[in-house]
Amino acid sequence: MEEIELVVASAPQAISGAKNLDELEELESNLVGKRSKLLEIQKGMGSLSPEEKPIVGKALQEARGTIVSLLQRKRAELELAAANSLLEDDRVDVTIERLRLNQGTFHLIQQTIDEVCDIFLGLGYSVAEGPEAELGFYNFDALNTPPTHPARAESDTMYLDFGDPADEALLRTQTSPMQVRWMEKHEPPVHVVVPGKVYRNDTIDASHLPVFHQIEGLAVDNDIKFSDLKGTLAHFAREYFGPKTVVRFRPHFFPFTEPSAELDVSCFACDGSGCRVCGGAGWIEMLGCGMVDPNVFDAVGYDQTKVTGFAFGIGVERLAMVRHAIHKVRHFVDNDIRFLRQYA
Amino acid sequence: MKVSLNWLNEYIELPTQDPLELRNVLAALGHEVEGVEALEAAWSDVVIAKVLSIDAHPKADKVRVCSVTTGGDPIQVVCGAWNFGSGAVVPFALPGAVLPGDFKIGIREIRGVESKGMICSEKELDLGDDHTGILVLDDDAPIGVPFADWVELPDVVFDLTITPNRPDAMSMIGIARDLGAYYGVPLKLPTAELESTPGKTSTKVTIEAIDGCSRFVLREMKDVKIGPSPYWMKRRLRAAGMRPIANIVDVTNYVMMETGHPLHAFDGDRLAGDSLTIRWAEDGEKVMTLDDVERTLRSSDLVICDAEGPTSMAGVMGGARSEVVEATTRVLLEAASWDSPTILRTSRRHDLRSEASMRFERGVDPNLGLFASARAVRLLHESGGGTVVETPVDVIARKIEPREIELPISEVERTLGPGIDSEFIANALKGIGMEVEGDDPLRVRVPTFRPDVERPIDLIEEIARLRGFDWFGVSVPSGSGGSLTGEQKRTRRVRETLAGVGLNQAVNLSFVGEADLDRLGYPADHEARMVVRVINPLREEESLLRTTLLPGLLRNAQFNVSHGIEQVGLFEVGKVFFNRPDEEDPRIPEQPDHLGFVVAGGFLGDGLSGSVVEVDFYTAAGITRLVGSRLGIETMELSAADAPGYHPGRCAEVSVNGTRIGFVGELHPTAAEAYDLPGRIAVGELDLSNLVGPVSLRQNAAPSVFPRVEFDLAFLVDLEMPADRLLRVTRDAGGGLVESARVFDEYVGGSDGRKSLGIHYVLRANDRTLTNEDVAPVRGSMVEAAAGIGAKLRG
Repeated sequence: MEEIELVVASAPQAISGAKNLDELEELESNLVGKRSKLLEIQKGMGSLSPEEKPIVGKALQEARGTIVSLLQRKRAELELAAANSLLEDDRVDVTIERLRLNQGTFHLIQQTIDEVCDIFLGLGYSVAEGPEAELGFYNFDALNTPPTHPARAESDTMYLDFGDPADEALLRTQTSPMQVRWMEKHEPPVHVVVPGKVYRNDTIDASHLPVFHQIEGLAVDNDIKFSDLKGTLAHFAREYFGPKTVVRFRPHFFPFTEPSAELDVSCFACDGSGCRVCGGAGWIEMLGCGMVDPNVFDAVGYDQTKVTGFAFGIGVERLAMVRHAIHKVRHFVDNDIRFLRQYA
Repeated sequence: MKVSLNWLNEYIELPTQDPLELRNVLAALGHEVEGVEALEAAWSDVVIAKVLSIDAHPKADKVRVCSVTTGGDPIQVVCGAWNFGSGAVVPFALPGAVLPGDFKIGIREIRGVESKGMICSEKELDLGDDHTGILVLDDDAPIGVPFADWVELPDVVFDLTITPNRPDAMSMIGIARDLGAYYGVPLKLPTAELESTPGKTSTKVTIEAIDGCSRFVLREMKDVKIGPSPYWMKRRLRAAGMRPIANIVDVTNYVMMETGHPLHAFDGDRLAGDSLTIRWAEDGEKVMTLDDVERTLRSSDLVICDAEGPTSMAGVMGGARSEVVEATTRVLLEAASWDSPTILRTSRRHDLRSEASMRFERGVDPNLGLFASARAVRLLHESGGGTVVETPVDVIARKIEPREIELPISEVERTLGPGIDSEFIANALKGIGMEVEGDDPLRVRVPTFRPDVERPIDLIEEIARLRGFDWFGVSVPSGSGGSLTGEQKRTRRVRETLAGVGLNQAVNLSFVGEADLDRLGYPADHEARMVVRVINPLREEESLLRTTLLPGLLRNAQFNVSHGIEQVGLFEVGKVFFNRPDEEDPRIPEQPDHLGFVVAGGFLGDGLSGSVVEVDFYTAAGITRLVGSRLGIETMELSAADAPGYHPGRCAEVSVNGTRIGFVGELHPTAAEAYDLPGRIAVGELDLSNLVGPVSLRQNAAPSVFPRVEFDLAFLVDLEMPADRLLRVTRDAGGGLVESARVFDEYVGGSDGRKSLGIHYVLRANDRTLTNEDVAPVRGSMVEAAAGIGAKLRG
């Protein structure tokens, strides 16, 4: 019995000293296995008295149970350590970019167009594109721009060798002709925005491109008022430039709107106190707009005594340049991937 | 246009002189302020003095001793300038004065003579460059008055952009009138009353070009002496951005700035004969303009002729022959009203845009000429003497009368909303020179200096402008329930898909040149040669509208490669143009939206792992198929093709529902070389409308819950056999059990002119677990079907 107690007493220390699973296996064999003292005692039980037998047997069983349970706990411990050690060896430098997944980008012009269109989609507008190769009628005549208007000079407008010269095929100088085409096809009420390319006979420099982008907007209904124009564009400015944006409308002149206005927005960078972005003025000139001229309604066959409307034209490059501090318009057409990828 | 505040003050008593407020008011009136310049006197304590006497200096012969007065006792001052005599009125710096450059003036001894102060030159006061002598002022300049007051300093100059509809605002009086209407203060017009000599201007004027000239006023002045203008006029001209020259030309400029009516002065004695004719020029006719350039005219130009033919390009530039010169004594002053579009055309064509032509372009009030010319001869008379011949020539070819417009208040409210009371409306309109009668409707008589006001809406604009745009409220009307169309949504999906696989969207100009099309090897009869030509292109290289997106994208790729970017992936969505009538509107060219892409140098990933996929035909095909599947197009097919610009063996035609929508593949090595692009380049261009058109809605097929069976088959086929065909045939033979079939191995290189295709099949049933007994016959019929098209199962 003392021998059993001795084995049980010495076991915890031996087991907890095992450094690895091999040592533990060896220990197991020594403590409860074939070479163990307990087995030896068990084998010698035949020499015991019938009274002693059950007592020693029970003690043996208990001793074995205690030791096996210790061994199991230790095994679990050692196994976990071994697994952790494997994971430790698997450690990586998380700062190395071993896999770089390259999502591509939308052009900043496209992102700007999408963002503006989404704002107006939210107001219940439709989106339409129109032809870029247009006619004098749509680009000028129907927009109250007479044949003698300077914008129709070859120094401003690019003309195309196509069709009947009397039709004056040209590259549209504004997205506004789509106002006319849209109204020809749709009865009022009309709420539509028209993003797209427009063309001017300008050589490329820091601020001019012969091809750039506009977003036209048109709303026509039987009770549209000047305040609707103001409210709609103020909403747009806040959505695009931020909730603190304040707008200012100044009288201006466009052939196809009357009254016409230019919209300034408070500088988003300095909130109107004056900074480099706004050139110290606190205001940034943003877009042209106005109430649709009755002559335009005549040109599309709307009853000018029944409907009113407003229209606006947003310069896409300008929006993007202002918001992203881009100083050269040339960046938009180089398609330098380093430029494009900045605007993910 | 530059507007001096001091000059404006002559016509209006503004309630404020605060430049910031005025800047905002001008902007609110529709006159955009490009800049505000504050002009300050660069000196202190300079007053106007009169030279009483001049004596020689006892010890120096280069300077003189002057006695001047500023109204009190005589002051002795030594002066080195000799351009004046006693009686001259001069700017005099008192002792204690500080001149520009921190130049302090005190009491000094100059060679034994006390000098108390300094008589100043223009340069010393920083008013001009002249330092040849002291600045001699006009004789009537008030003695003792601070010199700064007399030269109207300080001053503020507003640089305004006047919109093209406002010819009247191209003048000091016009701007003053607008400000007066805004502040509710009256306009004080300058006087044009004349001290004249009875008589009639003897020149006979005939207007033949009735459409070109509605009215022509000619005033005669005799015994004029050419000389410098009074100082105040020079200063105002300078503030307005004009260079003073001599009295006659200065007066015409001054009155133009003041009233908005350009004037032209002829030397009456240098004109041939004593009659002027206004007519259209003859084609090829020539005139020597006063810049000594011979101009060739067209029949759309207007000319003023004397007995020897054209002597002036009407409204644009005078002629050299009748120009005012130093010896001129008899002046004929023209104040004419020319046809705006004609002046615009002529001045543009001859590249002769001037302050005058800019005003005629917008439209000068035909009834202003009498006043403007009278004002000019009055000023000329004041400054240069001369006698004014009382009665001018005034030929009216077309009488332009004030317009009458009826304005119902309801019309105002329909556009501007309710709330503007009719009293405000009447007063505002009166403030800008309209006559208003009645309550509702208002009957408005529009002065002829406002040719832009023709309809009620034009008056409504004026009302809104004078009410101030800030006055109006804001409201957001709800739209008519718009949304993106299906095509627009699917176009967005195309872009998302391409960006999703790493391509960057490019935006290019829509122009190409012949060289671009040559580089891609398009034959003469190819669709890409159906170009629309720009009549007035910027450059030859940009003279055609693009028929393909590839040249732009390839130039972009070239740009990027040349800037050291190794992997280039770009796509573009945009219009191309073909020289054939558009289906919907045959008057314009067909202009479909295309999708194009280019991939060079590697695809996907550039990490350390080197997981770059090499670019080849399959890059282009993979991108194309992905777009098709993302759009739910089940009928997209790629088949071998040979299209210009593409590698002949690595090009596929793409079709949807059997309609060809474009080509994809590898760029032809010759074209790649032309664009300096190394290696294999994947490109493609598809007609977008056929891609994003409506597709039938996918109906659900519930995924099978039963296990699958997989096996590989290897076939020997002819080299020309498209794998696609083998896949389709074997799939069809699978009786609906083939879940997928994919080529996993392709081996070409046997000597028998055949290739080996390894195909991996997955079979699965929806209703049961497939057994060997199920699969064996299916496999058998697949092999049999393959054999039917000449594909032999490999052993």
